[in-house]
Amino acid sequence: MTYFKLPSGLRDILPQESARLDQTEEVLRKKFKEAGFSSVRTAGIEYYDTFACIKSSVPQASMFKMTDKDGNLIVLRPDMTLACARIAATKLRDGKAKLCYFSNVYDFSASGNSDREVAQAGVEIFGEDGAESDADAVAFAIGCLQAAGLKNFMVDIGHVGFYKGLLEGSGLTEEAAEEIRGYINAKDAVNTEIALRENGANERAQAAILALPSLFGDVRILKEAEGLTDNAMALSALKHLQRVYDCLKKKGVEKYVSFDLGTVKSLSYYSGMVFTGLAAGVGAPVLSGGRYNDLCAQFGRDLSAVGFAIGLMRVLRAQEEETGC
Amino acid sequence: MLNVALAKGRLADSCADIFMKCGIQAQVLKEETRKLVLETPDKSFKFFFVKPSDVPTYVEYGIADIGIVGKDTLLEAGADLYEMLDLKFEKCKLCIAGFPEKKEMLSAPHLRVATKYVNTAKKLFFSRGEDVEIIKLNGSIELAPLTGLSDVIFDIVQSGGTLRANGLVVLDEVFDISARLVANKVSLKTKAAEILPLISEMKKYIG
Repeated sequence: MTYFKLPSGLRDILPQESARLDQTEEVLRKKFKEAGFSSVRTAGIEYYDTFACIKSSVPQASMFKMTDKDGNLIVLRPDMTLACARIAATKLRDGKAKLCYFSNVYDFSASGNSDREVAQAGVEIFGEDGAESDADAVAFAIGCLQAAGLKNFMVDIGHVGFYKGLLEGSGLTEEAAEEIRGYINAKDAVNTEIALRENGANERAQAAILALPSLFGDVRILKEAEGLTDNAMALSALKHLQRVYDCLKKKGVEKYVSFDLGTVKSLSYYSGMVFTGLAAGVGAPVLSGGRYNDLCAQFGRDLSAVGFAIGLMRVLRAQEEETGC
Repeated sequence: MLNVALAKGRLADSCADIFMKCGIQAQVLKEETRKLVLETPDKSFKFFFVKPSDVPTYVEYGIADIGIVGKDTLLEAGADLYEMLDLKFEKCKLCIAGFPEKKEMLSAPHLRVATKYVNTAKKLFFSRGEDVEIIKLNGSIELAPLTGLSDVIFDIVQSGGTLRANGLVVLDEVFDISARLVANKVSLKTKAAEILPLISEMKKYIG
């Protein structure tokens, strides 16, 4: 061999950059510890079935798959939230837990703006529910980004219940709803409209769903959205977000917060509030998380949960943007 | 400052017109130049000239905050970005075309399709439950059925002139295409104060 290369989507981190990564990890470790989180290290390789049999957000094609000695299909850990939920549901005794981790996750299909090996730092809070708990998680996320040296960032909040609520009684099939979800996620109003018409959604639902791509901005959009529907689930999602915002305001961090009701991620384990951290100059989110109250039950124990993961390499890029070097 | 990715050529010209109507000092776009990066005199906009198929890439990575590109290119790129506005110019259609007698062959068990839109064609025929052989070409797609390389082609049709001149007809109109304004998913939020007023201004001038 005249040269030794890495497969595509992977990279080595050399001393200079590694030192900066260490520094950021150090800051976050301290922050997590002060807030009462205990660190876990989950297995790097798991059974494929663990991720395939539950309603999760990991598509089959995005997992690194191998075969174990006994013929079982195994995968490189694709997601830390799933791993932590599995641990909390099957291995911890308390009804409450605050876990944190510094781990890599692997994405087989990654292309474009992402890597196949992603260094993450994250927290998962089990056994707490409600607007206050959601606000705590968001405020802590803001605190973590600040501790990592970022100033020019925001946390964009949505709620999966709003879209779900609009779908109820819209007359759309599950398949059509999934197609339209893709268009809404891309804020593609043209195709959203065509698909709604072709699939014969009722008029009120059509108008409300069509408004979704433009329902983002500051807290005022929650009021605006209220007028679009009288579905109970959708309205309670809005009320919940308003309460989260009020809590965040009390904590004095509302200037970092914006809302987007058009964030409707693909089939995922999130059940309530979802949020992403956006830093100026970095084209993809530096942080993402949300509430997933139905996930642990699929691992055999009903636990409410909320958490988020920080993409460490993207935080480094955001730091570079801020310092201009 | 807002970074804008534009496709070189005719599309850039139409973009310059609509930008100027919106009060942007986009005259720079009209000047004959070989520069790849142009700034407006008031430094509020920076334009990058890229290949059409690279517009989604520049926007997805956030190097450009917004971009203007044809829907055909967006369909093919499948990039993760926001599609904010249908500008309704550069209209055309993505069609399946071929010799008229191929019409009843469209659901043949092994149709050979020549196209430069490989991903879009794959998705289209997959969604119709048809197995096809897709042959990737980079230009003069119409030549493929004439020479027997493929049964039909999958390509954009504007006036249909090239098709007619070669005895080909549109067999199936699949997608309506026009120019779209796209935005990076993060920029839309972090630069909302610059992007949103621009979009509502542009809406006024869409035909």
